[in-house]
Amino acid sequence: MSGRTVVIPHLGRVEGHGGIFVRIEGNRVTQVEMDIFEGSRYYEALLKGKHFQEVQGIITRICAICSASHTVTALQALEEALGVKVSERVHDLRGLLLLGATIESHALHVFALALPDFLGYESVLAMASQYREEVVQALRLKQLGNKIQDLIGGRAVHPVNTLVGGFGKLPRHRELEALAAELEQALPVLDRFVDLAASIPLPQVKPGPTVYVALRPYVEAFRFRGVSLCTSRGEEYPLSAYREVIREFTVEHSHAKHAALEEGTTYMVGSLARLKLWGHYLTGRAKAAFQRLLPDPKDDNPLLNNWAQLVELVHSVERALEICHELLGQPEEPRDLVDYQVRAGRGIGAIEVPRGTLFHEYELDEAGRVVAANVITPTAQNLANLERDLRAGAEAVLVAGNGLSDKELKLRLEMVARAYDPCISCSVHLVRS
Amino acid sequence: MADKPKVGIFGLTGCAGDQLQILNCEDELVWLAENLDIVDWVMAKGENDHITRLDIAFVEGVVATQRDLDALKAIRARAKILVGIGTCAVWGGLPAMQNELSREVLQREVYGADPSFLDSVEALPPSKFVPFELLIPGCPIEKHEFLQAVRALLLGTVPELPKVPVCWECKTRENLCRVVYFGEVCCGAMTRGGCGARCPSHGVACAGCRGPVEEPNYDSNIIMFADRGISWVDIAQKMKNFSAPVWLAKGLAKEVGHER
Repeated sequence: MSGRTVVIPHLGRVEGHGGIFVRIEGNRVTQVEMDIFEGSRYYEALLKGKHFQEVQGIITRICAICSASHTVTALQALEEALGVKVSERVHDLRGLLLLGATIESHALHVFALALPDFLGYESVLAMASQYREEVVQALRLKQLGNKIQDLIGGRAVHPVNTLVGGFGKLPRHRELEALAAELEQALPVLDRFVDLAASIPLPQVKPGPTVYVALRPYVEAFRFRGVSLCTSRGEEYPLSAYREVIREFTVEHSHAKHAALEEGTTYMVGSLARLKLWGHYLTGRAKAAFQRLLPDPKDDNPLLNNWAQLVELVHSVERALEICHELLGQPEEPRDLVDYQVRAGRGIGAIEVPRGTLFHEYELDEAGRVVAANVITPTAQNLANLERDLRAGAEAVLVAGNGLSDKELKLRLEMVARAYDPCISCSVHLVRS
Repeated sequence: MADKPKVGIFGLTGCAGDQLQILNCEDELVWLAENLDIVDWVMAKGENDHITRLDIAFVEGVVATQRDLDALKAIRARAKILVGIGTCAVWGGLPAMQNELSREVLQREVYGADPSFLDSVEALPPSKFVPFELLIPGCPIEKHEFLQAVRALLLGTVPELPKVPVCWECKTRENLCRVVYFGEVCCGAMTRGGCGARCPSHGVACAGCRGPVEEPNYDSNIIMFADRGISWVDIAQKMKNFSAPVWLAKGLAKEVGHER
C-alpha cells in the first residue's frame, strides 16, 4: 500500500517557529510530529549568578506575548524564596495585569490567528475586506488588553513597573476610571462575538478522552492565581510536587521538551482545561457564554479551546472591571512597595496564564543571587497532547473521505495545532539547572 | 514607490516581541495592510510567498541556529531594503549575554546528557552577518518609531530616529536621578533614547534595553557607580544585560575575578 506524507514546513499564525510532519499509510496515520526548530536561548545560563532584582527583566523576554505572565509568576516565586508578603492591593494589581495580558493574548489568538480559518480567510488582514467592522472591534479589544498592561506594567510588552515587593508606580484614580469606562463598553461588543462564534459549526475532532490539568483557584471563584495542582481525573497535588507530577522528556524532532503525567498520560492545559475544571465558578456574561459555546461537558474536541478562550475573554473583561471598582474604593497612593530583607531560599510560582499553567522556581543564595532556576511553560506541557490530537484530526479527515486533497488535510491539521495557541518561543526556553 | 511595496516580516530566534509590537499597532494595522503589500509574514498569515522579491524586509531576533543564518541570507538576497527591528537584531540583546560560555555547556545544563539533535550556534545579531539599510533598536521596538520608519520608507527616504541617550529624555521628564538620589546602577547615560525614559519614569533604573548610544562613556559610568559604593559584581551584572559590548563585559568579568 502506497503511503503519503503531509508536511507543513513552517506553520503560520502561531507564535514562534514550528512545522508539522504527518505520514499516512492507507487510512492509517503512522507518524505525527510537531517539529520545533526555534533556536535555544539558554535562559538558565543567563540567570545564574544574577541578582534576584534582575530576574524579572530577563525572564520576561522568554516571550513577548507571555511577558506579563512570566513576570508575575517569577515575582511570586522570588517573593516566596525571600519570604516577602505583598499587600492585597499588589495582588489585585497583578491580577489586573494578568487579565490585561489574557484579554490581549486571547483577542489576538481567537480573532486574528484562529478565526480566519473558520471564516475561510488566510489572515485577519484578508478578513478585513469583508468583515471590516468585526476586525476593527476585535483589534480594539486586543488594544484594551494592551492598555491595561501599559497602565499597570508600564509597557504593553515586557513590563517595567513590576518589582519584587510591589510596584514602582500605581495607577491614578482618573486612569482607572477611564479604564473602567472602556471595559464597560467592551461587554456588548463581546456579546456580538459570542453570537458570531455560536453561529460557526466546529469541525469534529475526537481524540478520545482528554486529561485536563489546572490550578485550584485561591478562592472559590474563577481565578488565575492557584493553590494546588488538579487534574480532571480528580487528583490534587501541592504545588511543591510539580516536578514529580509533571515528567519532562526530550524528543529528537523538537527543541522543546515534552511533558506527561507520571504514568505517561499526555494532558492538556489552558482555557479549555480551566473551564472543564472550574467553569462552574463563572458568573455573569461569562457564565452565559460558557453554557452557550461549550454545552457538552463530555466533548473533548480540542478546537473548543478557541471558544473557551472567548469565554475567558468575557470573564477577563468582567473581572477587570470588578478590580477597577475595588481599587477605586481605596485611597490613591503613588507607590506600593514593601520593605524586606534579602535571604537565601527557594520559591515556586504557579499561575494560570493565557495558554495554561506556568511554573517558575528559583533558588537564591544569601546575597540574593540565582543559584538555580526552572521554568515549565504551558506549551511544553501541551505538545505531546497536541501531537495526539493532530493524529486524531488527520484520521477524522481520512475517515470522512479518501478523495481529500493535501490542502484540506493540511488546513485541518493547522486548525488543531492553532487551537492549542502554541507559544513556541516559550516552549523552547525551558530552563533547568 | 509607485505601487504598494512588497513587504516581508520575519523573526529569527527571539521572543517575537517586535513582530508583536507591529500587531500592537491596532489603530494603524488596517492602514498598514492598505499601504503595504505584506506577502510574507508567517506569524500573522496562513498563506505566505517565500520567493517574490521584496521592496522592504523587516527582521527581528538573533542568529542562534544554522537555520537562522540561512534564512537571514535568503531574506537579504530577496530584499531591496533590509530593516533590523529590535535590540536582538541590532546588538544581540539578552541571548548574546553569555556568549563567553560554550554551547556544549549551555546545552548540557538545559537539555541534559546528549543533545546532539540541537541546531545551536553562538547567538549573534543579524547585523554581524549581512548589511542593513536601517536599524531600529528597542526591546521591544517603540510602535511610533516603527510607524515613523514605514512612513519614511513609503516616501522613499529614511527616518531620523533619536540619537540622544535615555538620560537626556529622563531629564526632560524631570525624574529624580536613579544614580544620584537612589545609588542604583542606571544605564540611562549609556543607552540610546527614544523610549521617553520609560523605566526611570516608573521609579525603576534603566536596564539599557535599547542598546548603547553612539560613543558611550563606559569608563565614567563605571567610576560613577563604583564611587557610590556599588560592587564590581553588581555593576558588571547589570551592564552586561544590554548595554555593554562583549569585550567590556569580559573585562568586567575579569575584574570581578581579580576581586575574588
